[in-house]
Amino acid sequence: MSLPQTTHIVIRNDIADLAAVTSAMERVGTEYGMPKTPLFQLQVALDEMVSNVIKYAWPAGGAHDIEIRITARDEGVEVEIIDDGRMFDPRDAPKRDKPLPGKRPQPGGVGAQMTKQLVDRIDYARIGSRNHTTLTKRCALGPAASSGEQS
Amino acid sequence: MKKTALRMEDSRAGPVCILSIGGRIDSGNAADLLDRLNGLLAAGEKTILLDFKEVLYLTSAAFRVLLVATDEAERNAARVVLCGLAGQVRELFEMGGLLEAFTVHGSREDALAKF
Repeated sequence: MSLPQTTHIVIRNDIADLAAVTSAMERVGTEYGMPKTPLFQLQVALDEMVSNVIKYAWPAGGAHDIEIRITARDEGVEVEIIDDGRMFDPRDAPKRDKPLPGKRPQPGGVGAQMTKQLVDRIDYARIGSRNHTTLTKRCALGPAASSGEQS
Repeated sequence: MKKTALRMEDSRAGPVCILSIGGRIDSGNAADLLDRLNGLLAAGEKTILLDFKEVLYLTSAAFRVLLVATDEAERNAARVVLCGLAGQVRELFEMGGLLEAFTVHGSREDALAKF
């Protein structure tokens, strides 16, 4: 199959739709022979980003669409998340405070910290009235790549 | 195994309440896990062992629940202990900088031997 190939899905800004995003990512990853570990990591990163959009992008609420484009390329997989919520560049997410000695860490910011480690690149652009956030995971694709990895 | 559902089942080993978790924990169902943990604490459980062996997928929503439940346990003079973290799920705990935030044992048997 010649690459790049893009799969396009649209969900509502409803937390219940998150599982559909993971499933779509799973289908695409399997179809293009993405190895299990990068696929899992990209799924979690995508989940973190989309759940943040659902929770924070529209302070006034209301029903909105979130568009997700998953593109398989020779050098890996790219996921673009497009929403018409308030402007937010995920690369500007504040760093977590280190917990005080003997204290448990606060939960805020854990998702952003994980996402940075789960993908190779995070890009962002505000185009018109929309946020375009792109996560890139570099990995080899194809049957040889996916079968070479232990589950 | 289905990735999209969260499964929870409790059992008992002496004074320890074991909650086996399986499947997927995300923003959509993390509140169900918190409700279950709060319910066990409210019922007077003092040691809750969370077995993650069957967890296939989780996001930071799970960490939020664990941090909140651990604090709640402390307020009730109880404790929440984790076991069965492996592979990619364990790596997520490491990436979130959370492995040190909880009491974590290897297998369920390892954990029960410590109580």
